[in-house]
Amino acid sequence: MQEDPVPVRPAPVPNLEFKAALLLALFVALVLGTVLYLMYARGSFEETQRLVLVADDAAGVSVGMDLSFAGFPIGRVRRIELAPDGAARIVVDVPRRDAHWLRETSVFVLYRSLVGGVSLKAYSGVLTDPPLPDGAQRKVLVGDTTAELPLLVSNARELVQNLTRLSATDSALAGSLSNLQTLTERLNGPRGAAAVLLGDEAEARKIATALDRINQLLARLDGIALKADAQVLGPDGLVQESRATVLQLNAMLGDARATLKRVDSVLAEAQTVAANARVATTDLGALRTEVDATVRKVERLVDEVNRKWPFARDTELKLR
Amino acid sequence: MNPTTSPPGAFAELARTAGAWFVGWWRTVHLTALLTVLALSPSSYRKQHRRALARHVYLGTAQSLLWFTALSTLISLVVIRIVLVTALSYGLSQYALEMVVRVLVLELIPLAAALFAALRCTIPLAAEIAALRARGEWKEAAALGADPLRSEVLPRVVAGLFCSLMLAAVSCVVTLVVAYLSTYGFTTAGFEAYTRTVGHVFNPAVSLIFGLKILFFGITVALMPIAAVLDAAPRRRTNTSVELQGLVRMFFALVVIEVASLVGNYY
Repeated sequence: MQEDPVPVRPAPVPNLEFKAALLLALFVALVLGTVLYLMYARGSFEETQRLVLVADDAAGVSVGMDLSFAGFPIGRVRRIELAPDGAARIVVDVPRRDAHWLRETSVFVLYRSLVGGVSLKAYSGVLTDPPLPDGAQRKVLVGDTTAELPLLVSNARELVQNLTRLSATDSALAGSLSNLQTLTERLNGPRGAAAVLLGDEAEARKIATALDRINQLLARLDGIALKADAQVLGPDGLVQESRATVLQLNAMLGDARATLKRVDSVLAEAQTVAANARVATTDLGALRTEVDATVRKVERLVDEVNRKWPFARDTELKLR
Repeated sequence: MNPTTSPPGAFAELARTAGAWFVGWWRTVHLTALLTVLALSPSSYRKQHRRALARHVYLGTAQSLLWFTALSTLISLVVIRIVLVTALSYGLSQYALEMVVRVLVLELIPLAAALFAALRCTIPLAAEIAALRARGEWKEAAALGADPLRSEVLPRVVAGLFCSLMLAAVSCVVTLVVAYLSTYGFTTAGFEAYTRTVGHVFNPAVSLIFGLKILFFGITVALMPIAAVLDAAPRRRTNTSVELQGLVRMFFALVVIEVASLVGNYY
């Protein structure tokens, strides 16, 4: 057994208390610095505005989660609570310096991806819209990839079943393909296309005969057309005669136009005469009125002369 | 028949061991209470005690600080590099930084700091107390009317606690800086994003648990080895079983604190 050696007292340290105080100061500085940095990192020194996002289901959303805009975090989830109507209220703190990215028309989406957590994203289509006010409440849209999976699988299964039915040996598609094969075989034979169209080869032969006769008919029609051409477009043809007739008609139309012009001038004169007659009629009316007035004045003058004249008759009737 | 191999004998042995275990823990708790009262008492910081306190604090911390800072920088660098490269190869680089901060700063570095403080500071200090008791100086001081608990134990416990807290603080700051430099290089461009990630990890609950964990780690490594020495009878020879028992108790307490912090953080 070994005995413990007697420990030697350590040598005195110069400026011991100062060095110890320096260590303490370093420790306090580290702790204070760390605390201040963490407070800064948590956004304690930032002015924020509040945004309330309302979702049907806030599963996966956690306090401290970021609200991102164009990939940049611009807000932090401060609280999640249940509203009286059963909806989830996600309270987000948005620093004032980033709040201008959020507008009245901004859309908020809660993404649930297949791999990874949930993310909150904001989209502002029109950045000239009025800014989002403090304490605004917005409905959050849910983009859930996993929720669409069952529907996708169901649709895929239905599609596969349809494809299986289509590709079965007794399916309509297989029958159609078989018919198509027969058709192509017949098309490759003599008079294939015509036989396919008309049903059998005898009918196709009739078609060939009909085509020959149509050719003969066309040759005869060609001769007829030549003759008609000579009659219509020849030197004494219909076209030359028609042209002369048209020239004559033009001359006649010129004469008719001159005649009509003369009739127009006659009509203008008649209108002038009629206008003069109307004026004269108006003047006659005025003259008659004046004559009537003069006659009435003369009559009144004669009456007055008769009353004042010594031989005037007493025309007044007196009741005795 | 050996009495310990018979069922009643085994039961009695088990009861005796459990009793000793509980008594040991009770004495540790009692010593903690006594030292807490002494530490909070202004009379413990009078001039005659202050010099001893300053010496233990300075000698206990200064000799470990540089080495541990260098060691933690190296370990951080390696672990951060491994995490970043692995995350990049799986296409999960956006989670790498958060993982580094969580794994290193929150979990590994405080535990490493506590263990380093125990190895370099508190276990040697406990050995000094054992030597004092072995030489009979403890009894002599008590006979002269001095309180060796205040004059000898308290400065060493405070020095051990301070060493543990200081190492944890320095290494956490160094690791945060190394993590930033490893991820973004020597530029300030990533400071906003990095700060946001750190703020995301250190929410109020995590910060509180982190602080409490470091404090309890410090108390454990400062107290357990000395408590184990004080619990045993003074001997002139090295009492290996007592020291080992103290170390086991210390590791047990560290594991319990670590598990409690993990439960608090992730459940």
